[in-house]
Amino acid sequence: MSLEEFKNRNIGKQNYVKLDLEHTPQTPLGRFSRVVRRTLKGELFVGLYVTLREMINALFRGEMHTVKYPLEKLPISPRYRAIHDMLRLLESGHYRCIGCGLCEKICISNCIRMDTRYDENQRKEVSEYTINFGRCIFCGYCAEVCPELAIVHGGRYETASEQRASFSIFEDMLTPVDALKQQKEYDGFGAVSPNADENIKKTPLAY
Amino acid sequence: MEVTVLPEVTWLGVVIKAVIILAIISAIAGFGTYLERKVLAFMQRRLGPMHVGPYGLLQILADGIKLFTKEDIVPQNANKLIFQVAPAITAATAFIALSAVPVFPDFTIPEFIPLLGGTFVPSMAADLNIGVLFILGMMAAGLYGPLLAGMAQANKWGILGSARTAIQFLSYEVVTGLSILAPIMLVGSLSLIEFNDYQAGGIGSWMMWQQPVALILFLIAGFAETNRTPFDLLEHEAEVVSGYATEYSGMRWGMFFIGEYANMITISVLAAVIFAGGYNDLGFLAGWFVIILKIAFFFFLMLWVRAAWPHVRPDQLMWLCWKVLMPIAVINVVITGFVMMA
Amino acid sequence: MSNEITIKIDGIEYKTKEGEYILNAARANNVFIPAICYLTRCSPTLACRICLVEADGKRVYACNAKAKEGMEITTSTPDILEERRAIMEVYDVNHPLQCGVCDQSGECELQNYTLEIGVDSQSYAIPDTKRETKDWSSVLHYDAGLCIVCERCVTVCKDMIGDAAIKTGPRGGEALPKEYKESMPKDAYAMWNKLQKSIIVPSNGSEFTNCSDCGECTAVCPVGALVSRDFIYKSNAWELEQIPATCAHCSNGCQIFYEVKHTSITDPTPKIYRVTNEWNYVSLCGSGRFAYDFENRVEGKDAEAFARAVEALQKADTIRFNSVITNEEALMLQTLKEKFGKKLVNNDAYAFGKFLSTYGKAAGKMLYGSDLKSITSSDFVISVGAALRNDNPNARYAFNNIQKMNKGAGLYFHPVADTVISDLGKNVMSMIHKPGLEEAALYLVLDLFSDKEKLPEATRSYLESFHKKGTRTVTEKVMEEVTETVVDEATGESKEVTKKVPKSVSKEVEFEINELASMLGGSDDFADAFEKMMAKKESFSLIVGEDLYFHPKAENLARLVALIESTSAINIVMIPPKTNSLGVALICDLDDAAEGYTVGYNENGDFRLSALGNGDLDMPALNQQEGTLTNINKLVVPTNAALGYNGYVLNDLMNALGCGEELTVAWTPKLASKRGFEAHCFDDLPNGYTNSGAEQRGYALVDLHRRAGEEGVEEFDGSIALEGEIAYRCNPQRQFNDFTDKSHEIFEAFALYASSTKAEELGAKVEVDFGSERRVFDVVADERMEGNIVKVPDFRSADDIYGLFGENRFKNVTIRKV
Ligand code: SF4
Ligand code: SF4
Ligand code: SF4
Ligand code: SF4
Ligand code: SF4
Ligand code: FES
Repeated sequence: MSLEEFKNRNIGKQNYVKLDLEHTPQTPLGRFSRVVRRTLKGELFVGLYVTLREMINALFRGEMHTVKYPLEKLPISPRYRAIHDMLRLLESGHYRCIGCGLCEKICISNCIRMDTRYDENQRKEVSEYTINFGRCIFCGYCAEVCPELAIVHGGRYETASEQRASFSIFEDMLTPVDALKQQKEYDGFGAVSPNADENIKKTPLAY
Repeated sequence: MEVTVLPEVTWLGVVIKAVIILAIISAIAGFGTYLERKVLAFMQRRLGPMHVGPYGLLQILADGIKLFTKEDIVPQNANKLIFQVAPAITAATAFIALSAVPVFPDFTIPEFIPLLGGTFVPSMAADLNIGVLFILGMMAAGLYGPLLAGMAQANKWGILGSARTAIQFLSYEVVTGLSILAPIMLVGSLSLIEFNDYQAGGIGSWMMWQQPVALILFLIAGFAETNRTPFDLLEHEAEVVSGYATEYSGMRWGMFFIGEYANMITISVLAAVIFAGGYNDLGFLAGWFVIILKIAFFFFLMLWVRAAWPHVRPDQLMWLCWKVLMPIAVINVVITGFVMMA
Repeated sequence: MSNEITIKIDGIEYKTKEGEYILNAARANNVFIPAICYLTRCSPTLACRICLVEADGKRVYACNAKAKEGMEITTSTPDILEERRAIMEVYDVNHPLQCGVCDQSGECELQNYTLEIGVDSQSYAIPDTKRETKDWSSVLHYDAGLCIVCERCVTVCKDMIGDAAIKTGPRGGEALPKEYKESMPKDAYAMWNKLQKSIIVPSNGSEFTNCSDCGECTAVCPVGALVSRDFIYKSNAWELEQIPATCAHCSNGCQIFYEVKHTSITDPTPKIYRVTNEWNYVSLCGSGRFAYDFENRVEGKDAEAFARAVEALQKADTIRFNSVITNEEALMLQTLKEKFGKKLVNNDAYAFGKFLSTYGKAAGKMLYGSDLKSITSSDFVISVGAALRNDNPNARYAFNNIQKMNKGAGLYFHPVADTVISDLGKNVMSMIHKPGLEEAALYLVLDLFSDKEKLPEATRSYLESFHKKGTRTVTEKVMEEVTETVVDEATGESKEVTKKVPKSVSKEVEFEINELASMLGGSDDFADAFEKMMAKKESFSLIVGEDLYFHPKAENLARLVALIESTSAINIVMIPPKTNSLGVALICDLDDAAEGYTVGYNENGDFRLSALGNGDLDMPALNQQEGTLTNINKLVVPTNAALGYNGYVLNDLMNALGCGEELTVAWTPKLASKRGFEAHCFDDLPNGYTNSGAEQRGYALVDLHRRAGEEGVEEFDGSIALEGEIAYRCNPQRQFNDFTDKSHEIFEAFALYASSTKAEELGAKVEVDFGSERRVFDVVADERMEGNIVKVPDFRSADDIYGLFGENRFKNVTIRKV
């Protein structure tokens, strides 16, 4: 299923009919006649027909619903808040994180920690960065607060672990340099709104 | 009608037949569970078991291993003996009933097989002239399994389950009996072989055309007696947890299960033999194949119904039995009698 | 208070003092007036102009205008708000958008005021100039890009620290576009005009400040422009937990905050990242700010070592320790003395205690009369026997602050000339005298300041004997009338013309000679110069230093100090030699010499208890324990444990010896058994400052008065003056003890310090013969020293420098190159 199909699946295609339920008959005769009516109307056979039809649809028309999960995976919504990714700058390949510590500050589970230092190029180097996924509640605040669009929620949602606490370090979350081309911008929680420009006042420049 | 002289039925043949029934039906019961899951899955547009073996075929094996190796727990306050024996009653009655059912055509074991060579194996282990009566009787005796199980386990869900067993089985026993009374009247025998032979004349001679009402009643009552949807009240999870089987685990629970499936097969076979032409050849199709198809159809029907219909309430069940089905059955018998006299 | 006045701010009446700046008055009353460039205790710079208010209808700068009785002040009018907004916008022009990495983020005044004023758009622009990032010294990192030229750093360095090591320099920015002059609010324009022209540069014209490395400029910087090189980019301010404490290094006992966080992702143990202070009210020195990681990390309790320690203490005849301990620990040691008769040996506190008690007997009380805080408001300050820059940096700050803020004057008596001191102000006179003449210095002070009526007859005439009439030849310019005969060329007439012509004449003038002054290195015109210094001075103070405690005539000196105090208007402060020397001197009865089996606490001994990690049993360092310290201001101030300590503490040993308390701080109220102390619970002791700058820390020692002693002062003994090669026991700046030495940001070496010329003469390495012993030292040039005397530091207790110098701080030595 492509993302587009996925997004539109099962939405608004059925013609739902509201059941017009009659009142339960009060007299024995009424009840009997309802049984007879229903029996003769063949309502039960409609049920049989529907299930058989669905079976045929499933088997021969490719409308099987099952996704064989570990082997097949559905695309997830971009707004899904799964395990974090750390993005890189597209041009230079340098990691985007500037070590501002806002994510560390805002994290309500207090599970982000980072080490920074003054590096040889007079820049702030993020020497290590971890998230304790044993504690993370995937609230997305870190992604929202990040001014550099550096920390985002990625697509890895399989978070079960044999460890009580499992940490990810910087390297685990950072886009591998050779996969830079495949790096996708994150358009979920905390992404720049499409009309962001309109909301910002221009600063005059003297150049 | 051509009279065939059958070879003499020896005790060895009967034992072999019994072993065959036991083995095959058990296997088929297991396979039935697989089929049930598959069919239900398909009808819900799912895949069903897929991971053990090709298309999940070995799932039965996995289930078997699970059932055999699971811990056998006997609750502290249960009546141990009865608790332990009850599942065996269910399984035993189901299989004993099958002894009077023609499951395969007769055959003789080829001469080259040592020891058993030349032994004649009959189509049914016991060709009783009261076959139908025997089967119905045995199935009715099967009532003791769930009943005792539920009462022995000192669990209120179990008690509820056995109470439901008693009313449901006893009530529908009546309908089953009355519904096939009419065909019996027509055939004039209680032997299933007679039934079979009665319908030897092709599709047109099938009993169901003469006795459609009896067929429907028999099926409904059969569903009830095998505890199938829409009458699966004995162990309905939403109401009584697991009913009479609440406290059972492992192989003991498995015996109830096998018994139930064996009963399903019995009912399917009865329906096929009494109403759908038995194992007579159909055109170019061999009799044994035809009857497998018919049994399979009735079996499938049970699964199909389970996928399609909701179950009824216990009071509706009783109402249906005593106020609808039983009168209709009686009327059917009366009408059949009049027609025969006319 | 008599000079209390009432002013109205935004319609509400407040009380304040006459002559208080409006800003301070508002702050003391919890009224907010925005202000960036003003530093309490320093002179207003008027760099930011954001503190504009309206006082009685006129626009004034709150940091610079004094409150008057009945003044009505409005903190914001539409005009002023417009002005302030324009100022904040100007500050944001070309300010790099790098809060994300900036060290100041979260506590940045630019951020705060931008938000407070509500700057959400920018109206001004000018091309940016490249501004370089520089490392000014081993600790200072300056990022001109972030600097808003508020000049707080310059001000604090000049007015408080006294180095004046930095100043504003040219920025090289473009001139402001003309049209802004008309269109902009005028204060904002003026501020911008100045801002656009300046950045901060070292004032010596080089790339480096060569200063005291106190780091106070980094503390006051409102933005991330000046930060410590070690701390830069290490941690965001909000991640650090502030632990209020007291600096452990010198006797000033400054209030500080240890800022603590886990070490790293892989190491969760807490670590001190930096030290901060309430820079409006207290200024730290380089040790206080940078010597913080002296903790003693131990894995756990070493029961065997503990058992040995108990045994050693039982066996001990003497306990040797120094004054880098808390009052509580001192009390524990004193308890050991009282219970088991151990001798207590402590070099620094012993000498100080003896001096103090001699002084006390003579003066009829226990403690010196004043403190550093109060002398800061005097306008004439004298220092005798203190290497001000090294012994107690805050005494130096006070000395300097008096020059800068009170238009004061200063007299600095010391054998070692110090260029920093002589540069503190034009009214500072350094009297460089021979070591040993400290008595003469005090006699001179007596002569200059005391009320002669009050002096004993003998002393008066003794002083009189130094006054001589002398003559000297002065060359004067005199205007001489010369009468010439001039022939008018036109008329041919000759005419007598009288003209005034300057002429140098030598003449003998008679003048008063004070032989004391001459002996102490005063110039011939000392009397005139002194008269100038004395002009318009009203309050006087005297700082007395360690040279007097370690002196052959220490007792006489003490009595002289008492005499000065009783016969003149001078307020007296004594600098305790080490962190808690005052406390130890008051709490312990010290013995003069060690004897028999010795247990050393942070000192040499047969068994060593040590917080330095090299002893036989580990002890917690001062940043790992709770307790109180007694500081120069006679306050008993609390300090807290910034880091945990896993091992045994002294109280555990006391418990093992059968006289301990449940907790170390349970000793705090027990201090009351010693004179001057009171019974306060440790947890009740405050440690902070109020908005008005009032110090609320611990409690003050109570002085006890009694009848003054009768013993008179002796005449001074000029014969003990030292000549020739002299060594002076004195630590380099930023070094006080083993703990400062242990800290990774303190680089000053354990070496022989000498003036540049002397150092050149000595070469790289020398052997110093102290008579009893010879030691080899590296030679380090201290550019701020002058003269021939060399300094030998005592901050490493293991080297026992006290032992080499004995009861003197100066010593004749022989120095050989090696
Ligand atoms: S998603 Fe929420 S809990 Fe998880 S790291 Fe981010 S801020 Fe913390
Ligand atoms: S908020 Fe973004 S830029 Fe800042 S430290 Fe976190 S990941 Fe890095
Ligand atoms: S100095 Fe202040 S405003 Fe400037 S970058 Fe640093 S935190 Fe931000
Ligand atoms: S370095 Fe800091 S304190 Fe100094 S002028 Fe610049 S902003 Fe002000
Ligand atoms: S470190 Fe101290 S002495 Fe040096 S420039 Fe800064 S304030 Fe001045
Ligand atoms: S605070 Fe008054 S001018 Fe800066």
